[in-house]
Amino acid sequence: MSGAAQGSQDTAKAGLASDSKDNSQPLQPQKPGAQLEEDDEFEDFPVEDWTKEEEVGSQTTATHLWEESWDDDDTSDDFSVQLKAELEKAKKS
Amino acid sequence: MATPTLGQFLNQVNGLIAARNEAKLADWLVLEPPFAPTYHAMIAELQATFPKHKEAALEERCAQSLRAAQEGDQGSNWTSFTRFMVQYLGYLRDVRAEASAYLDTYNLLRELQGRANSALAHPSLGYLMLQTVVTNARLLCRLAIGLDRQPELLAGSRMGAAEEEGGYRETLPEKAANTIRVAFTTALNDRSGSPGGLDGEGKPEGKKRGIYILANLCLKILFQCRKTRNATQIFEQISGNAPPLAAYPKSQRVTYLYYLGRFLFQHNHFYRAQAALQAAYDASPAHPQCAKHRRLILVYLIAANIILGRFPSTSLLSRPESHGFAERFTPLCAAIRAGDLATFHRLTALSSPHAPWFLHYRILFQLQNRCEVLAARSLVRRTFLLHGIAPEPGTNKAASLSLTSLITAFSLVAPREEQEEAQADADFDGAPAGEDGDLLAPDLLAIEAVLSSLIEQGFVRAYIAHKQRRLAILGAKSFGGNAVAAGFPGVWGVVVKRDREGGRVPGWKRGEGEGFG
Repeated sequence: MSGAAQGSQDTAKAGLASDSKDNSQPLQPQKPGAQLEEDDEFEDFPVEDWTKEEEVGSQTTATHLWEESWDDDDTSDDFSVQLKAELEKAKKS
Repeated sequence: MATPTLGQFLNQVNGLIAARNEAKLADWLVLEPPFAPTYHAMIAELQATFPKHKEAALEERCAQSLRAAQEGDQGSNWTSFTRFMVQYLGYLRDVRAEASAYLDTYNLLRELQGRANSALAHPSLGYLMLQTVVTNARLLCRLAIGLDRQPELLAGSRMGAAEEEGGYRETLPEKAANTIRVAFTTALNDRSGSPGGLDGEGKPEGKKRGIYILANLCLKILFQCRKTRNATQIFEQISGNAPPLAAYPKSQRVTYLYYLGRFLFQHNHFYRAQAALQAAYDASPAHPQCAKHRRLILVYLIAANIILGRFPSTSLLSRPESHGFAERFTPLCAAIRAGDLATFHRLTALSSPHAPWFLHYRILFQLQNRCEVLAARSLVRRTFLLHGIAPEPGTNKAASLSLTSLITAFSLVAPREEQEEAQADADFDGAPAGEDGDLLAPDLLAIEAVLSSLIEQGFVRAYIAHKQRRLAILGAKSFGGNAVAAGFPGVWGVVVKRDREGGRVPGWKRGEGEGFG
């Protein structure tokens, strides 16, 4: 019954290697939050594995992702000006 | 009616077991319609000769043909495989592909998963079932999530929630996840190979190949259906028994770290969450096709980092997967940086235009609760910049700030609603309301409480000179007299020192000598 095996190639999932073949879709991704434009399903990756060079981390090592020193000594923004005025007002009174 | 196609099929399967041909066996045990014509021929034979309620006859037929399973291996028969085949043939016979039958299909697949799990448990032959178990679990996962999203398909059934002991109602998605978790546990506890679960090339062997892929399917159901309480056991089991994550394909690694990161985030372990999520993001494929994966990781990675005092850079926010993030996260970071608590409260209130988005991802309350302290630190810092007093040169006096100035500063940003509410309450009580609605404005006690908390957490290095009503900065000398640098260390640095704990993240198995993050 080799025909069965042959015919099954289209539909069979190759198990562990089938990340690449799985078309996992929710039946119909409609839910109340749909107007939020985003579906939060973490789908299967289209391929099972990839090289180090293909990783985001390898391609963007030079870019810095995070600001660790964000303290701001500039006191000329609107909020600081308002704060300064309040502090002066309180000092006088 | 004769059953020649069924006979051939069973003979083939028997041959594949005898030959220990795992891949071919999985190819033959097709689960997802539409089926090839030969399968339709077999289904017709099954419907004619072995309709429902003739399972005993079908089992006899299977036992006759599946000699290799009946004999088993090393003196241990594999009749659990024969029973799986009976269930499998029944599944082929009864399954219908149309949407109205999803619940029936789900039930058939869950029963089949149970049989497949039993066959997987055979100590020396079970591994032959691994691919079939995973494929079945994947279909079960898809149906459980689909049904959870379309509860109307459950109408008339009692499947939505089944009563269990103690009155706890186990929902359909939880049941599906629990069924898959049985296979996950079997894979995890496989003792057929080397103790570490890895072969000579460092690749997972035997049933242990299935650990993370099965864990990920369980986690997908639990997170999609918001039933994450059951995820704890999975992470604990992996912590105890699994081979290192790095031995598995990257698709499994990234997916697992995404769920682990989200789980840690949900449990307020933000430093660990960012470590797992950063590793997931870095290892993600840069391919445009995977932008959605990277985006989902980034939502939680950015939120965790903001909470820990690290803001997303402009370059991160301008990546394709960060579309729309800047308008949501940047104003929040700006308010924290400025110490503008009023704006911060407005941005994180339920009435904020972006609140539904933050709620959708379940990050609103964490941002609201955890970042407030960072904004308070900035406000103290800014007030110190404007009104702090530097020590006189040549004296031992510390740089300091009047607590009265801080009362003024915190009054400026006190939530408006609270002020209005206070005024309403005051009116109700007949007490005179202050002219500026400042009745509930923070008093000395409230300010000292805020400062104590900031000092306790290490975000402000100072002490409260209660009698003098001043905040005195500590250690300016070791910063070359720079009281601002001494008194207000960077938040991220403080957090790293506090939370790093040797870099261990529970649930994340790493090989010896592997780096962190």
